[in-house]
Order: sequence, then C-alpha cells, then structure tokens
Amino acid sequence: MSPRQRAEPKAGWAVDVRHLTVRFGDFTAVDDVSFQVAKGEIFGFLGANGAGKTTTIRVLCGLLLPSSGEIHVGGEGYHDDNSGLKSHSGYMSQKFTLYNDLTVAQNLEFTAALRDVPVKELEARKERLFKLVGFDRDEDTLVGALPGGMKQQVSLAAALLHNPQIVFLDEPTAGVSPDSRARFWAVIRDLAKAGQTVFVTTHYMDEAEECGRIALMRDGKLVALDSPAGLKKHAFPYGLVELELSGEPKEGWDKAFSQLPGVESLKPHGRRWHLEPSTARAWGQLKARLPRGLKAHVIAPSLEDVFLKIVEPAKPKGAAHG
Amino acid sequence: MDDHSPGIFERLATRTEGIFDLVLPRRAAALARKEARHIVRDPYTLGMNLLLPLMMLLLFGFAISFEPKDLAVAVLDQDHSQASAKVVEAVQGSGFFKIQASHGDPEKDVESERVKATLVIPAGFQKSVGRGEDPQIQVMLDGSDNAAASVVEGYLGGVVNSAWSRLQVERGQPAPLEPLEFKTRYLFNPEQDGHWFIVPGLLVIILGLLCVLMTALTVAKEWEQGSMELLLSTPIRPMDIILGKVAPYVGLGLFDVAIVYVAARVVFHVPFEGSHLLFMLGSFLFLLVALSQGLLISVGTRNQQVAFQLSMMLAMLPTMLLSGFIFPIESMPLFFRIFTAVLPPRWFMTIVRGLFLKGSGLGQLAVPFTVLALMAVLLTGLAIRNFKTDVEP
Repeated sequence: MSPRQRAEPKAGWAVDVRHLTVRFGDFTAVDDVSFQVAKGEIFGFLGANGAGKTTTIRVLCGLLLPSSGEIHVGGEGYHDDNSGLKSHSGYMSQKFTLYNDLTVAQNLEFTAALRDVPVKELEARKERLFKLVGFDRDEDTLVGALPGGMKQQVSLAAALLHNPQIVFLDEPTAGVSPDSRARFWAVIRDLAKAGQTVFVTTHYMDEAEECGRIALMRDGKLVALDSPAGLKKHAFPYGLVELELSGEPKEGWDKAFSQLPGVESLKPHGRRWHLEPSTARAWGQLKARLPRGLKAHVIAPSLEDVFLKIVEPAKPKGAAHG
Repeated sequence: MDDHSPGIFERLATRTEGIFDLVLPRRAAALARKEARHIVRDPYTLGMNLLLPLMMLLLFGFAISFEPKDLAVAVLDQDHSQASAKVVEAVQGSGFFKIQASHGDPEKDVESERVKATLVIPAGFQKSVGRGEDPQIQVMLDGSDNAAASVVEGYLGGVVNSAWSRLQVERGQPAPLEPLEFKTRYLFNPEQDGHWFIVPGLLVIILGLLCVLMTALTVAKEWEQGSMELLLSTPIRPMDIILGKVAPYVGLGLFDVAIVYVAARVVFHVPFEGSHLLFMLGSFLFLLVALSQGLLISVGTRNQQVAFQLSMMLAMLPTMLLSGFIFPIESMPLFFRIFTAVLPPRWFMTIVRGLFLKGSGLGQLAVPFTVLALMAVLLTGLAIRNFKTDVEP
C-alpha cells in the first residue's frame, strides 16, 4: 500500500497482487485490489463473510481466473496452465477437503504424489510435519475417525508436504477448540520463523493480533492494510475511552452526549460504550461534562474496535446509538 | 476403535493397485489408487456393481421369457367328439399351454383374466372334418396384452393346424394343402433358446448403465465434498484426472464383464463361439466410451443427484430401447435406425452377440469395432478438453 512497498521488484514479494478484479456475471467479488506480501510474513486477511477473501485466495491458488489485474505468487504469474503458480503454494481451504474414508497416511501419500514429493523423502517429511503440527496418532487411522482439531492438523500437514514458499490458510481454525487454536497458531509462528510465508484468513480478533500485517476487506475492496498497531493508531488517532455505568444516568444521555463537540463517535460495546474523541485534546474537555452515573477510563483500542469502525458499514455521525 | 482393518475387497485391491503405477503417470496413478480405495470401502458402490448384474440376470434370465410356457388357455368344446378331443389333447400335449375349464362363455373367460385365450370348438366339428371341409375353430384372445396375444395366436394356431392335419391323415385323406409351410432352421441359436439372445445382451445393458453412472457420480462427489478444490490447487492436469478416474472403473467394469460371462456360460449354457481376445478388446473399448460419457455428464453438473438423473436419462433409455436389446433395430422407423448409429450400446450389442452366438471374427465386426474405437478416442478427448479446472460457481 505504501509507496515504499510498490517500488520493490516483483520477484522480491511472496505474493504480489495488482489491480485484481474478479467478476461473476454482474457481481464483482473482488474490486481492484492491490497488495504485496513479504517473504516470511504472517499476513492476515479480515473481512465479513462475502467480502471477497476466499475469492482472492482462490485466485492466488490458481483455482479461479482473475477478470483483470495481475498477480504473482512466488514470482510466478498466470499462464494457460497454472502449474507454476500452484507449485509454490500450499492451500488449506475453508471446507475440510481430505478424504474421510482414507487413512492419514493414504491421504498424505495421495497429496505427495500430486505435489511431486519424491517417494524417498515422504517418510522423513511426514515425521517432521507430524511433529511440527503436533499430530501423535497412528497414521493408519481413518481421517473420518479423528476429532476436528486433529483433522485440521492433518490438513495443514498435507498443505505443507511439498515445502511450499507460501501457504494459504482459509479460516483454518473455524470450529476447533480454543486449545487447538492456540497450538495451531504456534505452528504458524514456527513456519514464519523458518521463512515460509503464511497467508491466513480468520474471524478471530486474537488471531489477527498475531499477524505481521492485516488486510481489511469490505464488499470486495481492500479498505485498510497495516500492522495491528498501525491499524489501531490509524483508526483511532486520539485514543479510545470506555464508559461504564456506575449509577443510573438520565434516559437519553448517550444521544445528548454524542452530540457534544469533540465526540467523533459513541458506540455501545456490550454493556459499556466506546467513545472516540475527535481531537487530541477533546477528551480533556469532555471529561468534565460526563453525565452522572458513568465512569470513564482511557483504553487501548482493540482490533475489534478497528474492525467495527472500518469494516462494518459506517453509520452517520450522531446516530451511533439508538 | 478407529483402527482400520482392511476387508476382503480392500486386500484384493491392495494387491492389484500396483498395476496403476505401471500403466499411468504418477499423478494419475495416485488418483486411480485413491479412487480404488474409495470403491472398496464404499458398500454402496460395491453393492451396486455386484447386485445390479445379478438382479438383471435373475430378472431377464428367469422371470422374463419370450416363449410361451404353461400359458393359461380355456377350451370350450361344444362338439364333444373324438376329433375335438384330439385337438384338445394336442394343445395340452404341446407344453406351451395349460388348459383351464371354460365357464361356458368364451368372452367372460378372457375378461376374467383367468386365461389369455379361449379356444372354441363348435358343434359339428367332427362332421365337417369327416366331410373334408375346412372346419371352423374360434380363438378369443386378450388383446389388451398384445405381446402375449400374438404369441398365443401363433403357437395355438400352429398346434391346432397340425392336429387337424393329423386328423385328416388318420381318415385316409390327403393332408390339407396349407397355403405355405415354413421349414425354419434357426442359425446360431438352433434351440431357439431366449436366454442365448438375452443374456449376452444384458452385458451391454449392465455396463452401459453402471459405467456412465459411476464416473458421473465420482466427480460430482468430489465437488460436493470440496475435495475437488484441494485436487485442483495442486499442479494436476485434466488429463491426469480423467485417466485416474477412468482406470479403476475399467477394472470394476471388467469384473462385471466376468460376472455376466460366467453366468451366461455356466448358468444359462450360452455358447461362446468367438475369440475371447476380441471380447476383452470390445468390452474394454465400450467401458472407455461409457466411462467417458459419465465424465462428460459430470462436466455439466457438480451435484450427485443431478448427475444420477442425467445418467439415467442419457444412458438408460437409449441402452434399453435403442440398442437392439429387445426391439430389433431393423424394424425401427428410418429416423431411429440412423439415430442408433451414435449410440455406443448399439455397436457393442452387435459385437457381443456376434462373439457369443455367431463366432464372428474381426472381419465381420470391423465396423462396430472401428466405431467404438473412434467413440472412445473422441469422448475421452472431449472429457479431457472440457474438464473444468477452476472452481468458478
């Protein structure tokens, strides 16, 4: 997004997307999206369902043709046959795609053959990957008999079997236990440390915090791209104040308070409210006019706040709470 | 509990799957091996491939018959003479009919559905035979069952006619001049055994249905499960996918060929006059054609149910009705006669019957073999070319 990044040579990027547009009939799923992902980066992709995340990933994995724009993955562009592009990347799709009626070993053997993994190296690679992802069952177990978290582990192992430069993970932790999620992210960090690029989509904000940079998508457009800290700073340059009930404020206080000068927005946040000042000094002046029955403290904005502000459809100022 | 212990089919498949590595490139071989494992672990696929041939053989081999046997016929003998008794005896002795007592009204007999026909021998029959006249015998047929009626008419007519000739001869009169007497000699099936005709034909029906269905379903299933997405994210080419999908089903199809062949020879005693090598080659070509048809159907749909219905519509009707299985192609209207040329089952039918019954050689079967080979190349090529490698909805 920044001029510095654009100046870099194409081959230097793990993923290089320029003006990518994907249309299905009249519907534009991805609308003029450009971004670059550095080698060894953990790149997060956030957005509501239908924002165009999966479509973008499918294009990058050679599964969909772009309607226009240019993409390069591992330095390889689009050709008639995308085998070059596909050979550099591993893909773990949203849906569980291994065969339930085959054993773990048979599934991996199948993937290995499709990915041209030398037969001699298969055993060693499997052993290394099983250790990496934490899979400790018998490899002759039918995949269908494994619990969800373990299926994800095997899926990841299958996606990594050919040592891809870049691995695309589309909501890899959807529907698995918090414990499995934590372990999964430990693996992702290990991969990045080893120099592999991880491109991941998620709905979990705590997972997004782990990413080096995050791209936010809305309605097929890329609306923000930065590090988690950068996103927060950019979205809330004057910080965030959390309001909490300490008594019983007057009915309609929030509407009146949000009209005051210096209030950028006031949004309900669970049983609390998040207030965004409109200037650096605004909160200093507003503090004195805080209605009775409310407590306030300055907090660090979370990614969820960023997500709500940038990705959720913007509401007109003052109509934040109804 | 989740330990997997292989069953008999699985062990058989494990022993034989090495062959895929010999004849196919690595990716296609891997796909074929995977597919073979699906087949042996899916009771539905296995059951269909075992039960459908057996069911068809039972149904067509034993239940459906094209010659009369113990057909119920009522006789109303109004003459009560020696001559009429002889006619009744001849009908009974022929083995084709089972005589039921008439209730007195020939029409009611047929109407009640008790019998297929009523034979009425009018009073004065013996006298008219004695005078050397043409005696009248009436037959009431159940026209609502057209097929049975014409069979009964033909056989009953024949039996009664010959009984009458014998009566004439017994009376020292010259045998009546029948307008035309056929001396029929059935080549290739001297015993006129319906099974000889039907059972080899069943091979065409069974393969034509199963093979189209199998490949159509297996591709649709991969789309439904989402595994096609994983498959296509690897550098596999459409050629590998088609080869890998077809190969294991060729094996399964040859298994069905063996079932029908053994049943035909051992159970129904159908002769096999031709070359077994040609039989294998013909079966192989037809398998390729039928499997490619299934793959072409799967290009059009990613839904198993739709694939099933399309296969049934596109494979079942032409195979059953227009392949010459039951209805001879020669007696179809011109349009259909020409139309059958594009239907693979029609050509395989010629090959199968030629090999089983006539002992035809490659010379006589050159046309059907050439047509099937061309179709195999064309359809496999079309399937490879049209196979979609992107997941666009």
